[in-house]
Amino acid sequence: MSFDLTTPVNTALLLYILYTVQRILFPSNSVPSTVPIEFKSGYSWMPKSHPPTLLFKTYTPKTLEPFNGEEGKRILLAIKGVVYDVTAGRNFYGPNGMYANFAGRDASRGMAKQSFDVEMLTPIDQPLDKLEDLTSEEIESMKGWMDHFSSKYIVCGRLVENDAT
Amino acid sequence: MRNYGTGMLGRFPVRPAKEQQVLLDLVKPDSDSSRTLWSTKITNPQLRQRVSAFGTGLIRVAGLDPEESNVLLLLNDGIEFLITDLALASHSIPSFTLSSPSVLTPVLEEHPPSAIVVHAEFLPQLLELIHDSNDGVHHTIIVVGNTDLDKHLGAIRLLKWEDIERQGAQADQLTPATPKPQDVFTVSFFATPDGQLRGTSLTHENLTAGVTSTRALLPLSGAISPLDTIVSAHSLSTAFGRAVAYTAVFEGTNFATLKSSQFFTAAETTSFDLADLKSVESYPIPSPTLLFAKPSHLTSLSSAILDEARRSSFFFHTLAWRHKFAGIVDGFLTKQSLWDRLVFDDARAKIMGKGAGTVRGVIVAGAPLEAQALTPARIALSVPLVNSHIHPAVAGPVLASHPLDLQTFPTTPATSGSSAADNFAFAYQAPVGPPSINVEAKLLGVDDVAVEDGADPIGALFVRGPSVGKLLHVEQGEENIPEEDRGWVETGERARVLSNGTFKVAIQAK
Repeated sequence: MSFDLTTPVNTALLLYILYTVQRILFPSNSVPSTVPIEFKSGYSWMPKSHPPTLLFKTYTPKTLEPFNGEEGKRILLAIKGVVYDVTAGRNFYGPNGMYANFAGRDASRGMAKQSFDVEMLTPIDQPLDKLEDLTSEEIESMKGWMDHFSSKYIVCGRLVENDAT
Repeated sequence: MRNYGTGMLGRFPVRPAKEQQVLLDLVKPDSDSSRTLWSTKITNPQLRQRVSAFGTGLIRVAGLDPEESNVLLLLNDGIEFLITDLALASHSIPSFTLSSPSVLTPVLEEHPPSAIVVHAEFLPQLLELIHDSNDGVHHTIIVVGNTDLDKHLGAIRLLKWEDIERQGAQADQLTPATPKPQDVFTVSFFATPDGQLRGTSLTHENLTAGVTSTRALLPLSGAISPLDTIVSAHSLSTAFGRAVAYTAVFEGTNFATLKSSQFFTAAETTSFDLADLKSVESYPIPSPTLLFAKPSHLTSLSSAILDEARRSSFFFHTLAWRHKFAGIVDGFLTKQSLWDRLVFDDARAKIMGKGAGTVRGVIVAGAPLEAQALTPARIALSVPLVNSHIHPAVAGPVLASHPLDLQTFPTTPATSGSSAADNFAFAYQAPVGPPSINVEAKLLGVDDVAVEDGADPIGALFVRGPSVGKLLHVEQGEENIPEEDRGWVETGERARVLSNGTFKVAIQAK
């Protein structure tokens, strides 16, 4: 059998061999113009964004109040000046939840007295509840709730008076 | 405030092994193989003996008091520095070191030492300075080398280093009380870029932690062993240089420093380049295996190798570069490929001599490395390259890249939140990696709004950890700060964190 370039099979194979040899002898040096965002797309890659974190903000009763879960907003709740993000507990604290009263408010007194009544909440434009008249058991139960919240939900801010920016 | 402390809340490693509590423990007493430190062939037990003799001599002959005196070390790197340092540390006598001669006058004024250890060549200049500054203080000067000056010059008492060691060896050896790891054993003075004097106090624990993080710079498969020879461009008078030297001592390797790290000489300063790297050939050490160099050493070495390769065979050089670069883009680099044998090994042998075969890792520290210097360096040397960031207050590296990382990125785009100088630095520098294994880094003053929108955080860099020393001149009301917020040291540099967790640090121009 002689090497005959006129047959299409031989030509095709020759071209393919030349192409492959060229890729081996002269490898591609191209670097993608945009840095890949996934490890599958290239060896040098950079994640698209930083891992999401929650910014620790300072809230006042007025700025905290909108975060009550309506219209898909986050649900925040404050106990003794510490603001927790309880969006994960939408069933309890979201609109129509059992404890929806506490969403976006300072729930310290309610946690201490183990009550979810509206009387436990201080109106937004008044100074924060000083909690001076609570017994030591009530303070203990409030601290217990704070531990529960710290382990179950995320601490994401602190609550200060309305004019204390 | 954004906090980038990583790790799984474990405690930071503070020492390489349980036995290494204080500085002298880094000289392991039970390994007695001999190795060459600068020009001296010595084993660990012999080194300990010399340290004990010198320490005894210091107390008996020079009359220093443990915990009362302090000694200024104006020595170039050498075995005398090491012995003096270890002796002072074991007798709990704090030592002062200067990271450059310009700091000498302020230190003599603000912190007059009880004794000064100096080389004979630098003695005349030192005497001039002392006569100019406070003349009321009685100095003891211990001279290394030969000098023909009188034993007593007015209020100054001149002693010879070799005499102290010899007399100390002949006397009964004093066994001092073991210092605690948290005791300060040295204060390292350095100048900030705007010329102010700063000092860092380093404890035994800072140094053992620095040795731990320096050892961790190389991959486990290529860890430092007694077969290595370490060459360092960082003077022992700096915190990082000391950590590197004590790593070499701990691991039992041969060790030498470059000529540019000697700054107490009568000669003019040397630049950081190829000739400097070759200066280490004057020491009787084996061919170097690990280089702790500055970026200018690396760039001059790699450009010399590439120029030589291009000169000798132009066609093969282009092809070899193309193949090696394709390998790097795919994450693959080796020193034994066909192209190395054809093209690069000859060039390396011509430039580096025997080092071409022995150098197996390069750690770059001390100045920012440009991103465009990375690929030529990787191709020219084809060994693991670590880009690290150091600071005069930290023993050991602050931030260090992974040695097997071959990623290359184009210039980082500028962000609106940072200044023009920052943008320039961050755009063209190679990333310096995440914090080292026992350092926490924090950025203060970050623009939260920009970061919430997805930009990289840029702010002032603060570090904390067992290898970070305490800055003097900084008063902090530490009692008011809660326990977990204490201990942060301001580096005075701005840094940017990229989304893969690596940092880029903009050092203010000197």
